[in-house]
Amino acid sequence: MLEPQGRFRLRIDWTLLLLLVAITGLGLLNLYSASYNVKNPMFTQQIYWIFIGFSVFLITATIDYRVYNKVAYFIYALGILTLILVLVTGLIKHGSRRWLIIGTMRLQPSELFKIAIILALGHFVDASPPKTEQGRTLQELIIPSLLAGFPFLLIMIQPDLGTGMLILLIFFSIMFLLRLRIRSLLTLLSSIIVLTPLIWTFVLQEYQKNRILVFLDPASDPSGHGWHYRQSIFAIGSGQWSGKGFLSGTQSKFHFLPAQWSDFPFSVWAEEWGLIGSLLLMGLYIWLILLSISLAKSARDRFASVICLGVGAMFFWHVVINIGMVMGLLPIVGVTLPLFSHGGSSMLTFMIGAGLLMSVSSRRYAFE
Amino acid sequence: MRRLLLSENSEFGKKFRYAQIFIIACFLILAGRLVQLQVVYGSEYRALSNHNFLQKRRIDAPRGLIYDKQGTVLAKNIVAFNVYITPLFFKERSFQFLIRLLDLPQSDIDFIKHRIMMADGRKRTYSLLAIRDIPKEWAMILESNKNYLRGLDIVPQEKRFYPQGALASHLMGFVSEVNREDLDNFKEYKYLALDWRGKTGLEWKYEKQMRGERGYVWRILDARGRRVHDPKSRRWMPKPWRKDPVPGLNLHLTIDAHIQRAVEQAMSVYNSGAAVVMEVKTGKILAYTSKPSFDPNELSGKLSTTRAHEIYANPLKPMLDKVSQGTYFPGSTYKVIPAIAAVEEQLIQHEEYHLCKGWYEYGRNSSFRCTHSHGLMNIHSAVVSSCNVFFFMLSERVGMDRMARYARLFGFGTPTGFNLNHEKGGFIPTKQWYAQKFMEGFRIGHTLNSAIGQGNVKATVLQTAMVYGAIANRGKLVQPQIIEKMTDYQGNLVRGFSPIIKREMGFKPETYDFIINALSGVVNEPTGTAYKSRINGLSVAGKTGTAQVRKINRDVLNKEEAKWSHLDHAWFAGFAPVHDSEIVVVVLIEHVGVFASKAAVPVTMNIIRKYYEIMGNRKR
Repeated sequence: MLEPQGRFRLRIDWTLLLLLVAITGLGLLNLYSASYNVKNPMFTQQIYWIFIGFSVFLITATIDYRVYNKVAYFIYALGILTLILVLVTGLIKHGSRRWLIIGTMRLQPSELFKIAIILALGHFVDASPPKTEQGRTLQELIIPSLLAGFPFLLIMIQPDLGTGMLILLIFFSIMFLLRLRIRSLLTLLSSIIVLTPLIWTFVLQEYQKNRILVFLDPASDPSGHGWHYRQSIFAIGSGQWSGKGFLSGTQSKFHFLPAQWSDFPFSVWAEEWGLIGSLLLMGLYIWLILLSISLAKSARDRFASVICLGVGAMFFWHVVINIGMVMGLLPIVGVTLPLFSHGGSSMLTFMIGAGLLMSVSSRRYAFE
Repeated sequence: MRRLLLSENSEFGKKFRYAQIFIIACFLILAGRLVQLQVVYGSEYRALSNHNFLQKRRIDAPRGLIYDKQGTVLAKNIVAFNVYITPLFFKERSFQFLIRLLDLPQSDIDFIKHRIMMADGRKRTYSLLAIRDIPKEWAMILESNKNYLRGLDIVPQEKRFYPQGALASHLMGFVSEVNREDLDNFKEYKYLALDWRGKTGLEWKYEKQMRGERGYVWRILDARGRRVHDPKSRRWMPKPWRKDPVPGLNLHLTIDAHIQRAVEQAMSVYNSGAAVVMEVKTGKILAYTSKPSFDPNELSGKLSTTRAHEIYANPLKPMLDKVSQGTYFPGSTYKVIPAIAAVEEQLIQHEEYHLCKGWYEYGRNSSFRCTHSHGLMNIHSAVVSSCNVFFFMLSERVGMDRMARYARLFGFGTPTGFNLNHEKGGFIPTKQWYAQKFMEGFRIGHTLNSAIGQGNVKATVLQTAMVYGAIANRGKLVQPQIIEKMTDYQGNLVRGFSPIIKREMGFKPETYDFIINALSGVVNEPTGTAYKSRINGLSVAGKTGTAQVRKINRDVLNKEEAKWSHLDHAWFAGFAPVHDSEIVVVVLIEHVGVFASKAAVPVTMNIIRKYYEIMGNRKR
């Protein structure tokens, strides 16, 4: 039986809950506008997903996080099995095998796997504290590197550059925050430098390389990939101070934005709500991410800290990469905007992540 | 209740702070970029995003129509199907499909390639003309395959059509698409590429009135180049979102298509020449023809270079308006000037007779000849039988400058004010002009030559019509007029034109009696030069003329052409009826080489007979 140790006084973290409601609410509003003149039940679909998402959030939050600590490797193993299952039987869309069909739903296990890797790393850090005062040695980083490296490879085979990269980013974010020896830190840094050209030559597909090349020189392809950049930047820029108004974004209404509901919702938002609306949305994200850092800080044990950091990192990188990409600061990769983008897998992943935060937050205080 | 100690979390230490700083720094960069895009360059991006989906499409104004006196349409607009492409959406696949679909000439394919290649940047979103005036069947084929031809539009546009073909072609002129030079040379007209511009004739003279005012409409296109029809989307359009074009003014000519056709029929025997019919009292032109003519439909359309070269290289000059642009020696038709001057100023008596031996003795030079020996001549019979010798004598009495003064009084030497096709004024020489022009200065020989409409005297057909009209009108000089009125597209009168009396000569009534009587004698007296061609019952007066052609440019012409190119021109200027005249008719036939009476007179008689026929039928 999984029995929590000690008694906690459960407290609902209202700030976290309100942030979630605000972001999903704005996201829904934005999707209404983005899909306004499209014959596609995306809006109703998203309402279902939000409903399911909040249910999953509540369930995740109710369960004591120490239970997750115990089943972390089990969940991880389940995740790896699912990833292999996807490679064998998954649905191919746009040239990559990412989707599993469950009933009428399509799920992207690689998205959900981010939770598994956070739990697994948390369990590892919690179970094996640094052996010396100076910090963890290289040998002590072999197991977590393998934990992250194997699923990374499985995901890149699909291929799904965005998710694979995020697994690595979450891994490195957590690792850098651990107590490390200087040598381990330097090795970690240099491994990123070594990995980049390796990924470029062996992992990246031609179209992905093209996107990055176009990003470096958008003028080289004004009607192809460069077109997406330009149109997204036109959309954001044309929002000016206060935006064109709800349902009045011409870039989205006349389909100048690519995948405006999943990857480019921020462009739609910024076009219709301007700088004021964009800063408001970004403010909500900063608040949420800083909240997860302070939760990590005040958490009772290392496992809780790591999962708060991991979930925070997941939110952070998603937001930074997505917004950076639509504003032309980063190459275009399929990275969703947390709780804002249309799509079930992404919604579930972030709701589970938020549920973990809530689970930790609710159990910070206890009776003696 | 107290807070738990965070003993286990010592592993992370200060790194939480680093993480917070890193997060805030990253977001500051994003916020900075946001400010850069939305505030610093916001207005530019707003303009760019508007340009994305808004397309201003011009609506060309229909060109004014041209009617004859009876309301027959002489020039109108018909629909032509033009193909437009938007390079941004018109990709190679559409292009290949288009080539497979239609049997396009290579020149059209090359032109489309050129247009696509030249379009860069913003121009790629423009709709550019690719093929002009395709057959209707092609337009239907393209329309039914529209889904496979992204970025291609078939736009019905107006083109000029002259239902009467070559009828009065020099008067009508023709239109053509503006070229680069036109855009530069006629800035005040604010032409845009693809506009039609009147090139010659009335099409150019009334260009401003007939063009109308261009309108526009804003259109919304989505990212795939498809037009958004939803009326709700108008809120994104600039206001006003549509401006209707104002059609050009319609011209109602004084020309009578029936008479015009009769004149052209009468002229059809000859290759080259001109004829004009004018109302004596009002100066209204009823017919206006120059030969050879051209088909304005051909010149207004797709004219191939070889065909254009053929037309412009024709030695008979089909593009020259021989009524008001060509100048000729008036020949004997000019004799009315010294005759009127001499009678008006009483320099000769009606009973004064002179003997014509066939030549005129003047100094050592005996080259001033007559057609034959006329015997005893007075002023009346000299006009009737066109005796040069008598006029040589007379001109010495009248003098060069007095003759010039009378000529100018009648309107010779300056354009009539008709102002069409760069109307020429002809030339009336004076003593002073000869003194300046020639080394040996003025000589009496110049006066003698002038008296018979040779030497340096030059006149247009239209001037001659005006002068004979003034004679028939007993001294009232009326400016030739071609426009009856202008109306707008709804038929409202915009401007009417009333006859312009240029001058009242104010000669003695006896002078008019004499000259009208003499001109009547030309047709109706057995010795008259036009007597043989008269038509019984037709009351006509007039004067024949033969204009010698200067033997110039012979080296330029090949032998075949040289045979006719030095043959003389035949004139007849007449009016009918003799008293209280209605119309004046002037006919010039180039290079006939026979006496005027054998060429120009029958044509004129024919025209006058036809005129009465047409008018008679109309009354019934």
